[in-house]
Amino acid sequence: MKSRFAILFATISVAMQIPALAHHSFAAEFDASQALRVMGALTKIEWTNPHSYFYIDVKDENGAVVKWTCEAGSPGALSRRGFKRGDLKLGDTIIVDGYRAKDGSHLMDARRVTLPNGRVVSGASAGDGGPDVTGRNP
Amino acid sequence: MKRNLAAAILAIWAISSTAFGQDNPLTAVDVKSAKPTPAPRTADGHPDLSGYWKGTRDTTPVGNIGKDLQAFKLPLTPAGEAALQHNLTATIDPESLCIIGGIPRHNASGLPFEVLQGAKKIAFLYWYSYFRLIPVDAKRKHSDDPDPSFFGEEIGHWEGDTLVIDSIGFKDEKVWIDENANPHSDALHVVERWTRPDADHIHVETVIDDPKFYVKPFTYSRTWVLGKPDEELQEYSCSENNVDKDHLGFGPGPIRPDGTRGYLNPAPLPPAVPKAPEK
Repeated sequence: MKSRFAILFATISVAMQIPALAHHSFAAEFDASQALRVMGALTKIEWTNPHSYFYIDVKDENGAVVKWTCEAGSPGALSRRGFKRGDLKLGDTIIVDGYRAKDGSHLMDARRVTLPNGRVVSGASAGDGGPDVTGRNP
Repeated sequence: MKRNLAAAILAIWAISSTAFGQDNPLTAVDVKSAKPTPAPRTADGHPDLSGYWKGTRDTTPVGNIGKDLQAFKLPLTPAGEAALQHNLTATIDPESLCIIGGIPRHNASGLPFEVLQGAKKIAFLYWYSYFRLIPVDAKRKHSDDPDPSFFGEEIGHWEGDTLVIDSIGFKDEKVWIDENANPHSDALHVVERWTRPDADHIHVETVIDDPKFYVKPFTYSRTWVLGKPDEELQEYSCSENNVDKDHLGFGPGPIRPDGTRGYLNPAPLPPAVPKAPEK
């Protein structure tokens, strides 16, 4: 049975491979060794091209607020996944899992977004060569 | 046990295709028909290349102009190798700065495109709101000194059922020939031979000749499939909010052995947040 599941997973893995669609290479901007999770209140939404952005205030261990910019796919890409602008409102607390920018700024690529109702959506810019929602290569 | 396996398949498929929604609408599975429908023709008898065309998962690696070459290795001259190193270490991907990708890069892209064919001109429309407008005229000759452009000076003519597009006059700065930062020079000469073998497919055979940067011409071939009747290009303003431009590094980043851009072993993301039980 284990081998059947291995084949199943391999088949799905191959089926999920998608061509490059992205505006830029994930690896040109983000560091795949710096996976991180941020959680905080949404202060601004930019539902724009070439990417959508979520701006959130994150409190550090001392209570100081750090402002994070979370980059997601284009509005078209997100809405095709059923993730609409109306799913979020300012003040919502969201959890974003992704990878930090190589330049060390408080910018991250939002590969996985957990909405206030617990719904999990992919924020990835599909086909940019970056990891999928689990942190594996597509 | 079979039921468990079926449930697992359904659950994983639901997660992979819906909850984390891949961009399937931008690509298509190439379903081969035993009896394909003939390509439509225009009033003047030529195949009509018009349509919304989507890449397939049979095309790998996408974004690499060396797709059809042994180990994806391009035949670079020493000057071409130097240009590649310059692109990798000193230039940001022009397309990510909202500069037109041009030809042949757009033919290697994963994004769909749309063709509108007229009797004397044919238009190729691309994402990022770029287009090229090609005169179709067998008598037309290239200019002596065309103004350099990203798509080049393009002239089309029909050879039987094949639309041949011959292009020269390219820019040599702020250009990558593909997503992997490979170079081309202003000596680039591209010949595309477009056909529509049946109603559902469009195909190109490309010869890329650039004697400054490549020791010999090389080829790039690809087939796309027809989109659904209600599919078409959408508005996409590349420069609307290009936050990336201040954060992008030089080059595409690492290239994997399979010819695609990206890291080999990314760190795993934190475990998914357990969903709270319904109240």
